[in-house]
Amino acid sequence: MGDKRTGNAGIYPAVGTWADTLAPILLLLALLLTTIGFVLSFIWAPPVYGASVNGVEVIGGQVVSNVLLISQKIFYFHMPVAITSFLALVAAAFFAVRFLMTREARFDTMSRVCMEIALVFVIMTMATGVMWTRFEWGVWWTWEPRLTTYFILMLIVIGYFILRNAIDDPERRAVYAAVLAIIAFVDTPICFMITRLVPSSIHPVVLRQGGGMGVSMIVPLLMIMFGMVMLGFALYRLRLRSIVLEQKCDALTETLEDQRESA
Amino acid sequence: MGFFEQYRVLLRKDLTREFRSKEMLSSMGIYALLVLVVYGAALSQTSKGLDILQMSGGLIWALIVFTSMLGLNRSFAFEKEQGCLEGILLAPIDRSTIFLSKATSNCLFLLVVELITVPLFAFFFLGGVTLAPSWPLIVFPLLLGSIGIAGVGTLLSTITLETRGKDVLLAVLFVPLLFPLVYACVAATTGCMVGSEGFMTTYLRSLLLAGGYDIIMLSLSWALYDFVISA
Amino acid sequence: MTDAIVAKGLRKAFGSRVAVDDLSFTLPKGRFLVVFGPNGAGKTTLLRMLSTLSRPSAGSANILGLDLIEDAQELRRHIGFISHAPMLYPALSASENLLFFARLQGVPNPQARVKDLLDAVELSHRSLDPVSTFSRGMLQRCSIARALLGDPELLLLDEPYSGLDLRAADIFDQLLSDHRADRSIVMVSHDLQHGYDLADQLLLMSRGKLLLSADKDDLPFDEFQHRFRAGAGMAVG
Repeated sequence: MGDKRTGNAGIYPAVGTWADTLAPILLLLALLLTTIGFVLSFIWAPPVYGASVNGVEVIGGQVVSNVLLISQKIFYFHMPVAITSFLALVAAAFFAVRFLMTREARFDTMSRVCMEIALVFVIMTMATGVMWTRFEWGVWWTWEPRLTTYFILMLIVIGYFILRNAIDDPERRAVYAAVLAIIAFVDTPICFMITRLVPSSIHPVVLRQGGGMGVSMIVPLLMIMFGMVMLGFALYRLRLRSIVLEQKCDALTETLEDQRESA
Repeated sequence: MGFFEQYRVLLRKDLTREFRSKEMLSSMGIYALLVLVVYGAALSQTSKGLDILQMSGGLIWALIVFTSMLGLNRSFAFEKEQGCLEGILLAPIDRSTIFLSKATSNCLFLLVVELITVPLFAFFFLGGVTLAPSWPLIVFPLLLGSIGIAGVGTLLSTITLETRGKDVLLAVLFVPLLFPLVYACVAATTGCMVGSEGFMTTYLRSLLLAGGYDIIMLSLSWALYDFVISA
Repeated sequence: MTDAIVAKGLRKAFGSRVAVDDLSFTLPKGRFLVVFGPNGAGKTTLLRMLSTLSRPSAGSANILGLDLIEDAQELRRHIGFISHAPMLYPALSASENLLFFARLQGVPNPQARVKDLLDAVELSHRSLDPVSTFSRGMLQRCSIARALLGDPELLLLDEPYSGLDLRAADIFDQLLSDHRADRSIVMVSHDLQHGYDLADQLLLMSRGKLLLSADKDDLPFDEFQHRFRAGAGMAVG
């Protein structure tokens, strides 16, 4: 601040641009889309047969081999949220790479905000995932590949923020966080591949009957999907804006304190 | 001076230092022994009929993961104490050479500890069971697992070196990131120890996946190391 | 006669925090530059940038005819660095430590070089003892030997006197003048009088900025002290 010669280029992410004008509109649109989509998934999409288990299985105290499940509706929420969280992680890794290339503080801020969004959506994914396993498979938790991967991803993202909090030097913090964001991005698909491809005899093989989805299922799903992605983007812009304000405020306070001290 | 010469000098320094102080090996060894003692209590109430063999792969890897963290925490701490790391960074040396030499020494120390603790595990817990004839194949998952742990662990221990509460932070980052590797290694280890029908498919595929993890994560750690050590 | 260091607009900053800002100075070969400044002035950051340990955010420097960023690897062969941390492994002996660093530096005939240097710092009788048994003064002597391994043309000293008792400081002074030869030296110091006595050139920093760069001959100690207090006062209040 007060240093007009070198300017503030690269310190703060650009805010107040078209994206921020769009953010509140997107937020409203996202709420509308997800709500309508969710309602449609109940009233329009037909009920689906749940998991067909090898042989019979006890689900919710009932011996079943095949059951009509209302819990399948969780899927309309679960999958869009999971995809949004992964997109946020991709964005975080992208900004992390940009940061390491340029060393501009703004990319660190952007990467960090993407991680925050990722965390929010990963937690939502986990919550719905656990509900899903409970009502579809009859257990609260199973080390199923997708669930495991998201659990591990959640731990890594939480670790990311613990790491950030444990470093005082801002530049070092930014570098380490960027490195971790990139590793997290690479590790997650590997985790999914390995948990999926390593043969295991312990878990029941769960197959879903009938691969196809009708229009009445795809439309609500797509509505919620777009809604969630928009929601993620809108939250990102809003959060970014408030963080930049905060950073500028801090810098200003510091300058003022300096001036008062030297006066 | 070429890469290999510098690599050798760095590695020899780590080995000499460890041979002199025995700091890492002794602490890792004792810790591993204590984990075995805890296992003894943990398994004390299980019935005689319990198939310990099916669990042993997992127990061995739990032992290795926790023991390795202790060593990794030490591996950079002593470089920092007297500013030696800066001394190394001031030499005309490629930063990735530092990574490779450190990962190698960490891997060697880990293998030495495994050489002692895995037989000790068998001594304490596998006395009453007969291992499948394929048990010597356990060497390969141990090797691949140790390489991955040492590689990723070296990067992470450099990151956590100058943070508050570094011991806990290493664990927080290390365990989730290593999870896929441990998962694959447990499958391979259990497979060859139990040796049930068609275990070779499980074994080979798990080894392949562990190898893939090693290659990808080590290349990544190697590529990112310059940023970390220069920060 | 060329210059040992030509720094142009060196800057180290991250976000809105600026550690060193637009620092330019020139140090002719064979001269002794002492950098003064209150805490947080950016002295150590400057030294770390000159030593290639830390990369400047902006600006450039030409050191010994080499570019600080482009030729960093080659430059490292010609720089010796001494700080208050000895940079020696306590578990290894003095000669093992020095041999290790000599080999990393790529010093030709490391054995002979280490022996010569241990003689020069009068530690040859203890060369096989672990460094952990050394006193603070001996450590610092050994640390000087380590910095001189590559026969560097530029020596960087980061408050080398902190933690040294009077006698050890005297020995350090003696060694420094013995091994001056044609070396250029940059030292960061807290001690105004002592630093002033050693210096050929003075640099005064405050809050990352250059306050004063002068030849010692042009600036008597009293005036320098006055300027320092004024500068420090401006910064600290």
